[in-house]
Amino acid sequence: MAIDELRETGTEGTIPGTGFTKAHQLFRESVRRFIDQEINPYMDQWEEAEMFPAHDLFKKAGDQGLLGLSYPEEYGGAGADYWYNMALAEELARVKGGAIPMALGVQTDMATPALNQYGSHKLKKKFLEPAIRGDAVCSIAVTEAGAGSDVASIRTKAERDGDEYVINGSKMFITNGVQADWICLLARTTPGTTFKGMSLIIVPTDTPGFCVSKKLKKLGNWASDTAELVFDNVRVPVANRIGEEGQGFIYQMQQFQNERLISSLGAAAGAEKILRMTIEYCRGRQTFGKPLIENQWIYFKLTELISEVEFLRQMCYHCGRIMDRGDDYTREASMAKLKAGRLVRQVADICLQFHGGMGYMEEYPMARYFRDSRLMSIGAGADEIMLGIIAKFEGIAPAR
Amino acid sequence: MNIVVCIKQILDPEIPARDFRVDSVKCEAERGSANLVTNIFCENALETALQFREAQGGKITAISCGPEGAEDVLRKALALKADDAVLVLNEAPNADPLFVAKTLAAGIRKIGPFDAVLVGREAGDWGAGQTGGLLAEELQVPCISFAENLQPSAASGAVKVKRQTDSGWELLESATPLVITITNHEKNVPRIPKTRDVMQSYRKPLVKWTLAELGIDPSTANSYYRVAELFIPRKETQCEFISGDTLEAKIDAFAHRVTDCMRSM
Ligand SMILES: Cc1cc2nc3c(=O)[nH]c(=O)nc-3n(C[C@H](O)[C@H](O)[C@H](O)COP(=O)(O)OP(=O)(O)OC[C@H]3O[C@@H](n4cnc5c(N)ncnc54)[C@H](O)[C@@H]3O)c2cc1C
Repeated sequence: MAIDELRETGTEGTIPGTGFTKAHQLFRESVRRFIDQEINPYMDQWEEAEMFPAHDLFKKAGDQGLLGLSYPEEYGGAGADYWYNMALAEELARVKGGAIPMALGVQTDMATPALNQYGSHKLKKKFLEPAIRGDAVCSIAVTEAGAGSDVASIRTKAERDGDEYVINGSKMFITNGVQADWICLLARTTPGTTFKGMSLIIVPTDTPGFCVSKKLKKLGNWASDTAELVFDNVRVPVANRIGEEGQGFIYQMQQFQNERLISSLGAAAGAEKILRMTIEYCRGRQTFGKPLIENQWIYFKLTELISEVEFLRQMCYHCGRIMDRGDDYTREASMAKLKAGRLVRQVADICLQFHGGMGYMEEYPMARYFRDSRLMSIGAGADEIMLGIIAKFEGIAPAR
Repeated sequence: MNIVVCIKQILDPEIPARDFRVDSVKCEAERGSANLVTNIFCENALETALQFREAQGGKITAISCGPEGAEDVLRKALALKADDAVLVLNEAPNADPLFVAKTLAAGIRKIGPFDAVLVGREAGDWGAGQTGGLLAEELQVPCISFAENLQPSAASGAVKVKRQTDSGWELLESATPLVITITNHEKNVPRIPKTRDVMQSYRKPLVKWTLAELGIDPSTANSYYRVAELFIPRKETQCEFISGDTLEAKIDAFAHRVTDCMRSM
């Protein structure tokens, strides 16, 4: 049942100016319960192990209906509007750490949107459906050792040989990479060309020639597995290509918008959570005969940051409204992503500072947030890349 | 079997103690920023009903007596796949248990024949725990309290109910219809509604009846029961060091101190 019908019944929005209805509210409550039952009790253990049981957790999330919110029912999705994805992103801030929201986000909003939008029916049946059910874990593989921000210069190639592509190359920093069952790979299908010669191809990880060459150690998001992948004469059917040949870069740039919006909104919710925690801490902590919070520097600074978080959240909702109209929100999503990256760095720094030594201790959630949040300015397009995109929209960037 | 589950909407009892305030003049809790939620024992009751239906078939009707906003707890029951939902509209705050029991009884009779009515053992707001018993009286059926599960019985027209007692548990067999008050147990932890069911819950029909339709006089909402005083007890903590020359002397002094405190309470 489409959410539009739901709106027709006159259930009022619970957050004015957004697409959130009471049903979304009830959905949030279920997500919270899911997190409290299935994720948070294990977070410390997974962080320590630098691994989480992706298949087990994703299966549970799939059964709950969390992995294909806005995807068509035909493939096991809920056929919901994108506000459900946004509600999910916000609620995932309840998870005690950034690793699992990132891993789930890759599955739901980074590795699958292009497949959903441009993939053939057969391809979706084979790969999207199990990903939505939680039977398959997936990754998005764009970044290479020699090409991160500069996506157009990737070198991994997929050469046509009859009905197959033969893939050679390597990918770097791939989330869920160790555990993935299939990879949405951006590869060069026409040699020599720039961004026009790329395609998105689904590569099952049990294909001969594929290997996880390294599980990477990281500053934060420990529980999430990040891998370096090698493709050595990996043969996949040409039918595994998403959409048209040569359109991969464009599809990926579109796919990035979901990723940026979802991660920015999640960042706003996460920053708010850590700010509220810091306020509580400063209320309880006494120095020089009064609670820390009573120092103007402290309550002013926290107030300022809370206000900025609210701006960020509203910008993300604004993206949602543009999306509802069916218009392009690249400019706004890039702005949100830039702001999110900058803001969480500030929030992490200030909140840790106000926690004093306690903030530096592992037993407090602060230290983990400090580590995990740093990724926001780098992953899914660094701050500077966002600046480049926005400058182009604004006509400020010099002509090439 | 036709099962009716009574569901109450309450102020979220999990809000931080610091944020909880009462209006001592009106003798009611202030809403403040607290959410309204489903009473947890009602969720246990619904879960018990769902498990029974899964094993034995039957039909579940959720009923609530409360203001318009109480629709939300019924929508949640529908998301958990209750078959039908009925809201008896009562805008009077803090209606007393006998009034609620009379209202629910009228609603349940209007719904039709039933085999079991499940209610939470008490509500997380007032904790009075009276509605179940009073409801049974109003419906003129037996009541089993503090049950943790419901099983079919070999005899037709009967159910087996396991109830918790201070010293353990009892397994009772009762003829239907009956009222059962449900307590929490590891086997009736409420399930989480699935996304699609959540989305559909707001599309399902939901019946609303007014008090007048049930022949209930709204002016009696607070006539059986009066809250004389409502206040938040002030907690004072003091730290006292017990002295003594030997360990025995300290233990002795400590024991005396504890008995003194208990006497003065
Ligand atoms: C934990 C983690 C998980 C990741 N998961 C994935 C994944 O699942 N899939 C995937 O494909 N990738 C993933 N990445 C990679 C991520 O998207 C890249 O790290 C990111 O795009 C930046 O690329 P880079 O690391 O190569 O940095 P570079 O491109 O080398 O850039 C380094 C820095 O230079 C600056 N910079 C770059 N270009 C410009 C410019 N034009 N002007 C000014 N400054 C500039 C920026 O500050 C940037 O941070 C992940 C990374 C991390 C750390």
